[in-house]
Amino acid sequence: MLSESLEVEKEIVDDFKKILGADFIDGQVQRKGRVYIKVKTDAYKKAIEHAVEKWNTYHLSTISGVDLGENIELLYHLLDPKAKITITIRTEIPKSDPKIGTVSDILPSALVYEREVYDLLGVIFTGHPDLRRLVLPEDFPEGVHPLRKEWKPEEVK
Amino acid sequence: METIELLILLLKFIVFPGAIFCIAYGFFLEWFDRKLYAKFQNRIGPLLTGPKGLLQPFADFVKLLAKEDITPVGADKLGFTLTPLLTVAVSLFTLLFIPIHSLTGVLSLPGDVLLVLFISTVFGLLIMFAGYFSGNRFSMVGTERTGLQFVGYEIPFALSVISVAAAARSLEITNIVNYQVNILGLPLIVFTPIAFAIYLISALAKLEKIPFDIPEAETEIVGGWQVEYSGKKLAFFRLATDLKMVFVSGLAAALFLGGPYGPSIPGLEPIFYTIWFIIKTLIVMFILSNLRSLFARYRIDQVVHGFWKYMVPLAVLQILIVEGLIFMGVI
Amino acid sequence: MSVEKRIFKIPVGPQHPALKEFEHFVFTVDGERVIDVGFRIGYTHRGIEKLAESKTYIQNLYLCERICGICSAAHQGCYAQTVEELADITAPPRGTYIRTLIWELERIHSHLLWLGVAAHEIGFDTLFMLVWRDREVVMDLLEMISGNRVNYAMSTIGGVRRDISDELKHKILKGLDILEERTKYYKEVCMKEQTILARAANVGILTREQALKLNAVGPTARASGVDVDLRRDDPYGAYDEVPFNVIVYDTCDVLARVLVRVDETFECINMCRWLLENLPEGDIRTKFARKIAENEVVGRVEAPRGELFYYIKSNGTDKPERLKVRTPTLANILPVCEMLKGGYIADIPIVLAGIDPCFACMDRALFIDENSEKKWVWSREQLRIYSIKWYKEHGNEVVRERWKQ
Repeated sequence: MLSESLEVEKEIVDDFKKILGADFIDGQVQRKGRVYIKVKTDAYKKAIEHAVEKWNTYHLSTISGVDLGENIELLYHLLDPKAKITITIRTEIPKSDPKIGTVSDILPSALVYEREVYDLLGVIFTGHPDLRRLVLPEDFPEGVHPLRKEWKPEEVK
Repeated sequence: METIELLILLLKFIVFPGAIFCIAYGFFLEWFDRKLYAKFQNRIGPLLTGPKGLLQPFADFVKLLAKEDITPVGADKLGFTLTPLLTVAVSLFTLLFIPIHSLTGVLSLPGDVLLVLFISTVFGLLIMFAGYFSGNRFSMVGTERTGLQFVGYEIPFALSVISVAAAARSLEITNIVNYQVNILGLPLIVFTPIAFAIYLISALAKLEKIPFDIPEAETEIVGGWQVEYSGKKLAFFRLATDLKMVFVSGLAAALFLGGPYGPSIPGLEPIFYTIWFIIKTLIVMFILSNLRSLFARYRIDQVVHGFWKYMVPLAVLQILIVEGLIFMGVI
Repeated sequence: MSVEKRIFKIPVGPQHPALKEFEHFVFTVDGERVIDVGFRIGYTHRGIEKLAESKTYIQNLYLCERICGICSAAHQGCYAQTVEELADITAPPRGTYIRTLIWELERIHSHLLWLGVAAHEIGFDTLFMLVWRDREVVMDLLEMISGNRVNYAMSTIGGVRRDISDELKHKILKGLDILEERTKYYKEVCMKEQTILARAANVGILTREQALKLNAVGPTARASGVDVDLRRDDPYGAYDEVPFNVIVYDTCDVLARVLVRVDETFECINMCRWLLENLPEGDIRTKFARKIAENEVVGRVEAPRGELFYYIKSNGTDKPERLKVRTPTLANILPVCEMLKGGYIADIPIVLAGIDPCFACMDRALFIDENSEKKWVWSREQLRIYSIKWYKEHGNEVVRERWKQ
């Protein structure tokens, strides 16, 4: 990739740095059209709001949850189809107390994705109107979330 | 003498042209319909049971008889058991009025057109009962739909038959057939093509075939009114459907196509008339199979709307045309 | 009768003839009108996301392919291209072109399959049978190229597994001619046949605003006037070189969804022709080292049903740290609930089918045989015996309970 073609992406990172101030942890341009912004948990919603308003990334592709050991990392993949840019807002929350506010008031499609993350990783989205399991059966044991690294498929045997 | 006459009448009821012939012919019509429908869809259709799969409908029937028969807990037991039997009985009864081997049916009385029309509406009612008694949610929706569709097709069906009766100036099937054979010398379809078309379309609705298979729409309400029926009861319903096919095509032949009359060798009329009957009903079935492979299923509101908005005025127009023709002395 | 009593709850699924896979929808209906829709998914949950963490990158190729039978090439190709980006290698042009060709042939097959299913849902079985007969042409082409009819196993990390010879090229071009002619005919049928118009026009409305708000994807979004196509908006494979049009209709109903897919089939046919005629010479794949350094990549393709999303994170070993898949049907589930509200029961099947749902795709991640108190795995035979015993004891109560509702 040529470096001059990444101007917009760099501008996005700078913009987020300016808006979020101390809550901005890291910004990264991976390649053309791929921007990763790491923010503190308190400011993630502000960051998403800003991305939707300023950069028009109205399309939430999905929310990915990754188990990092001590923490769970949440990645909100936002896409602006016209500008061909994907902004990924990432934030970490402690595994011992996995709580974060919902974004379904800004992006209604998050209703389903948040349920999926809750189901598989046990992240509780406060303010979600209907936080139930999405894909696992109803009689699955409470508090067991299989995508966490400590959970092994052998456990059920 | 009386006992022999009674015996002959009994044979007519049971063997020919009554129950056994009609049931066998019903199976044959189902096979014909299925095979033709398959041809239109570039499939093969029944193939293995009997020559060219001819015995498939019969095999299906026997197989269903042997299947487990379940009565749901929520069903009304008496009604649930009685409806399939009644449906078959009623269909067989109506068939006795259809002229098959001669110009008269096994039964014939003044005003039997009205009787046949009335009994054929009982088909619809029985289907509603069938759905209602099974007490299933899908059946309920199917029942509602049957009722609504019934309101749609029954009036145009009756009007199309009445226009024929008006042309023949008689309410007796035998007289209508005789009128075509002896007085007019032409089948009535020549003067009542609109009524014939309306008759066929409402017949499709009566038989619940595409595009009017709304009450049992498989992809929407999983078979509708018949969803809870299994085993023997389902077998009887399927048999009744086959008999209804014979009835609908037979009545069409009698009213519009000059009945079972056709060129024949004197003395052998019953055989020739039966052959002519089969040919004419097959023509009707051919048209029906064609129609049902050409369309998508309508929605219930569209059906009722369509029948009342287009079919009823057209049927009335046909009656007016017939009256005009009589007035001018053409027929 | 009071108003409340006329309100039924109709369950659709997990087993229902209108749904070809297991999903559960509950419709609250008043007469023939649908008032509310609830959904419950997960019946074909297989735990692929968890399983992928314990398999190598090469093994995962074939695992990802099996997420979905109909868009298997989209899944496998998307996975392969995402891992390529992760490992910082590029597939040679010929490999990319062949991969794109497979994607487009698959789109033809998927759209024709959908057209048949949609026809079946509205009771037009003749169209269903004929369309599926002609779909065999493209299935045969795919079999000739890859050796398989369903899971093609064409893509591999760093390219594709099989080459296309000149002889095969001619056969494909011939097959494409047949497909184009037949598709033209089906388009005419869809636009002129009165019963189809009666059932599809103005049914299952999803306005542009709703589609944007609920993030609908793929043909569903394009039929609602949202001009989005990842092949153009986030180019991958050979799509920045192939000329094609994005089909957008703005009538927002099922008919628009039909026409978008039929028109897209024409585009696909043209793209396949272009790809075959401009197929570059050279290798079809490059080498790939088994281990990948720590990295993370977001990969997207436009699957036949819409945006397919992969997020892969590597950790320096030969197995991924995390593999996240988001399939188009999951994105379209909220829009479809919106479409169904206020419609007729009769329109449920065609509206549901309108998004071209693929539920097996949607429920990946986990499979389990578990009881909350005791933990064991049952064999199928044990489960069968247990269920027979259980139903003998409790069957009647359960059934009665159900009827009371």
